[in-house]
Formats: sequence, structure tokens, C-alpha cells
Amino acid sequence: MLAIYKKEMRAYFTSIVGYLFLAFFLALIGLYFYAQNLYSGSPNFGYALGGVMMFFILLVPMVTMRIMAEENKQKTDQLLYTSPISVTRIILGKYLSILSMFGIVMLITCFYPVMLSQYGTVNFKQSYACILAFFLMGAAYMAIGLFISALTESQAFAAIMTFVVVIISVFASQIAVLLPTGAKTAWLIFSVLLLGLAGISYAVMHNITVSIVIAIITELALFILYQAKPDALDGAVLNVFGWFSISDRFTDFVYGEFAVSAVVYYISYCVLFVFLTIQAVKKRRWS
Amino acid sequence: MIEVKNLVKKYGDHVAVDHLNFTVEKGQILGFLGPNGAGKSTTMNMLTGYISMTEGSVTINGFDIYEEPEEAKKAIGYLPEMPPVYPDMTVREYLKFVMDVKKVPRGQRAAMLSDIMVRTQVSDVADRLIRHLSKGYRQRVGLAQAIVGYPEVVILDEPTVGLDPMQIIEIRDLIKELARKHTVIISSHILSEISEVCDTVMIINKGKLVVMDRVENLPKYLERSMRLKLLVLGDEAKIEAALSSINGIEELTFDRGEDGLTAIFIGTKGSLDVREEVFYALASARCPIYSMNMDSLSLEDIFLEMTKNNVNSMKVQSEENLQNMENDMQEQILDEDGADEGEEE
Repeated sequence: MLAIYKKEMRAYFTSIVGYLFLAFFLALIGLYFYAQNLYSGSPNFGYALGGVMMFFILLVPMVTMRIMAEENKQKTDQLLYTSPISVTRIILGKYLSILSMFGIVMLITCFYPVMLSQYGTVNFKQSYACILAFFLMGAAYMAIGLFISALTESQAFAAIMTFVVVIISVFASQIAVLLPTGAKTAWLIFSVLLLGLAGISYAVMHNITVSIVIAIITELALFILYQAKPDALDGAVLNVFGWFSISDRFTDFVYGEFAVSAVVYYISYCVLFVFLTIQAVKKRRWS
Repeated sequence: MIEVKNLVKKYGDHVAVDHLNFTVEKGQILGFLGPNGAGKSTTMNMLTGYISMTEGSVTINGFDIYEEPEEAKKAIGYLPEMPPVYPDMTVREYLKFVMDVKKVPRGQRAAMLSDIMVRTQVSDVADRLIRHLSKGYRQRVGLAQAIVGYPEVVILDEPTVGLDPMQIIEIRDLIKELARKHTVIISSHILSEISEVCDTVMIINKGKLVVMDRVENLPKYLERSMRLKLLVLGDEAKIEAALSSINGIEELTFDRGEDGLTAIFIGTKGSLDVREEVFYALASARCPIYSMNMDSLSLEDIFLEMTKNNVNSMKVQSEENLQNMENDMQEQILDEDGADEGEEE
């Protein structure tokens, strides 16, 4: 695991990507720190981070796109998977290297509240809770990026898919508000979502029969629910989009509340997607 | 050492590897031969645990590759078709990384690194980026990677493809040298290459085992391996009558030769040599022989013949032989072990 971790860290710093990621990220945080805190005279560092949040749509693909796809393309995965090291350790080593890159940014960010305290009273507890939440939120997005990268040989495809998924997640609640709340729309939207889910299951397992069975069963269940209890679907779209909205949960921290549920939520996201990545890699070779 | 039982790989309806059974003993150099698309790489990928099998099992050093992958993989060094190198690393960095991944004990690393670099002749490019190396050097770096940790089994998938003749000779010598300490499996679609370095050859076609035997035993699988070409003075009927008394002639064709001579082609079964009988028979029939040449079929012909469609009849034959050969091999290995011990004393 350490070998993989060291290799990935070196790869970030021998190519330009690592430096670009750090520079771009730190510049954004600096910019928003200036705009939200120094210029507007607010001691709440959460505002700055809240502004940077939407740039995850660029930063996440930047740091995750090559992590698995490059090995698949260069066939160096043949070295890794024929070595006496388990897939779990390989994936964990890679995920840790992504987190370390992000961690470097977050460590530097930890100085901002201290700097801010020179000019007034800063709520350190709240500021550092925000930084922690921001880190966990990013970690969750990066786990998704890792998973997408493992599904393909093309870095460009991985980058675009990650971009799309993160953008949907960032704007999920805004999109949901725009949609009509009727039961029929809910049924349609959920149908599409379930088909997407079946599609993901195919990407992970490469077993068309299982995916079709999943699609049929879930669609049937949804249809029965729609016929029997249309009220249940009323407003459900908003709720479901809410579940997927990783960014929404950050707002609590900005307003000074330490939301334990959000922390658990983020960590479950990380664990789920690292697990899915391991399964996808195993299935890719096992099919 | 390596035991493969009932190995099957299916991609949907396509059967890439079809019920392969074989064993490789310690110290053996097995050549894995077949036309392109015969299932060589697929089999090697399964042996090394890179992909899974649909059915069957692979046991390496007593460890099942599926049940105990980490233990089994410790004994394997693998050079896939495309050397698994990272273009952004230098050769030295790359080999150090491979040592890390293969868990070579720290104390042995420096010595092993220089030894491997000398053996694969990559010392002079040790600090260059792999990106800038030629195909031949990349292949050598790939080979260096495969012997990191001195695994007991080295599996090489078409190690000489795309190299120039000089490099091919170098790689071949390296493989011969490796074979002294390791069990080696090499795949190729070129028979001469295999026959030069291997002691045992396994021919597969369309995923099926066609034949597995020691190199020197291969000619006996041919229906006819000798073919005589004669120029004789005399008419066909007379010659045919003279030759009819000889046993073992399977094929006899006549052609009009130059200057009133008759050209005769004689095919015999197996490696039966009938030159002497032919000489006396024709001499007693007073048909002087002007020339007699023997074409013995080369290994290439054997390969072509065996990968043609008449696979089934041969398979039965080869399975019987496989059993005999395994016994032979075991005896031989015992002998060799005995000899080794003798040397050590």
C-alpha cells in the first residue's frame, strides 16, 4: 500500500498536474478569503470555503482522472494485479495519495483563521469545523472521481464523467427546485434514475442479465408504488435530490452548527465509493 | 511447480481457452506455441492471476492462484505482451518501485538492483526516463521487472516481438541464462525461437492443447516426416514394381524428369529411413539412381501441420504421450537433482 502511495505521490509531482492542482486550489481559496473575509470584513471563514466549493467541479476531475485510467491504458495494471498485493491495498494507496494532495491544500488553509484573528475575533471552533467538513466533502467527491476513473481507459472520459457527476451533485438542490413536484414527474424522473442505476451496475459487474433484472424489478416496484400510492411520490424528487446533494450539507457548518450526521454522510460516501472501486476493478478482471 | 487443471476461459459465447491441462516441473523451460489468437496470452494472464478463469484451477507452488493469490503471486515474475512500464519514471526508479510492490527485503535491494540491471543490460540507461527508451530497451526493462525478487517461475509473453535480430539474440541468451535458476514459460508464434531455448514445447490452437512434448520428440507426431526425392533411369512400371517390395512406403509419386530420367517422390511413415532399401531395390532392378535427396520436415512444418484442422485425431494421440512424457520428465528431474547434489558435494 505504501509503495503504491509513494508512486502516486511522485507521479503527481513529476508531472505538472500536481503543482497545477495545488496552485489553482490555493489561489481560489486565497481569492475567496480576500473577497469574503478581508474585503467584506467577515470573520466567518466558512463563507470563503462555501464560495470555493463549486470549483470542485474542476478540481476533482483534475486530481482523480488519471489515477486508475492511466494504468488501465498503459497496461501497467498488469504489473500491479500480478504482484503479491491485494486490490484493496492498491486502491487504498491510490485514494490516500489523492487525499494527501487535498490534505496539503487543507493544511495550508488552516493558517487562514489564524491570520484572520489578527484583525478581530474569530470563532476558531467554527472555522476549523468548516475546514474539516470541507475536507470530508472533497474526499467524498474524490472517491466518486476515483470510481469513475477505474471504469475507463480514457483520462478524458474519466474527467468529463467526473465533471458531470460533480456538477449534478453541486447543483442538485437547485435543479430539484425547478422541477415540477407532481407525482407523474416524480415517476418519470425516478424511472430515468433507476435506469441510470442499472447502467452503473452494468459498468461495475459487466453482467447484462443482472443489470436488466435490476432495472425491471426496480421499475416495476416504482410503477406499483405510483399506481397504489401516488401521494408518496409527491415532493419526493426534492427529497431524493437532497440525499445526493453533497454540497448542501456543508451549509450547516458555515452557520456554526457541527452536523454530525453530515460527517457520517460524507464518510459513508467515501467508504461506499472506495468499496465500489475495488469491486469494479475485481469485476473488470473477473468477467 | 505449476499445475493447470481443466482451465477454461469464455468471453460470452467465445471460448478462448478450452480445457487445458498441463504441469510444469521445476527447472523446466516450457515453450508455449500457437498461431496468433490461439489463447496464449489469455492462458498466461490466467496463470499469473491477472484475469480469472471461467472454470478450472491454477496451482503455483501448491498455492491456488484464486484462493491464495498473494502467496501464489510471490513465486511469479511476469512480462506481459506490452511491458508494464511507467514512462515517467527512470529505469532505476521503476525497478525500485517494482521491488517495493514485490516486497523485496530492504537489505537485499541494492545488490539485487545492480545484479538485475547488469543481467538485463540496462545499467547504461539506468537514469533515463523510460519514455525516451527504444522498444528493445523497454522490453529489457520489462524483463528486468519480471525477475525482480528472483521468482521461481518467470512467465514471458512473446518477449522478442518487435525487436531487431541483434536484440532477439540478446534476449534469447538472457532467457537461456535465466533458465539456469528459474522455471521459465515463454510464448511465441515462432517455432524456431522456442526450439532454440526450450526443452519442452506445448502447442495450442483455438484454445485447445494440440501437443505437449519434449522438443526432440516432436517429429514423431507427423504422419510422414521424411520425403525422398530421386532421379532414376527407367520407366515407371519397372520402378514401381521394384519398390513395391519395401515396407513402410506411404506415398509414391512419379514425375517426368529431365533427359529421360524419372523423378520419384517417396514418403514414409514416421521417421522411417528407407534409403538403403530403395538403393538395393532399384539396383537389383537395374534402374540406376542419378540422385537421391532427403527432405526432412522442419519444426516449422510440424507446427503448421499440427495447427491445421486435423487437430482432433492428434489430440487423442498427444494425450497418451503427455502421460508418458510426464513420467519421463519426472525421472529426468530426479536424475538432474541427483546430479546437482553430486556437484554440491
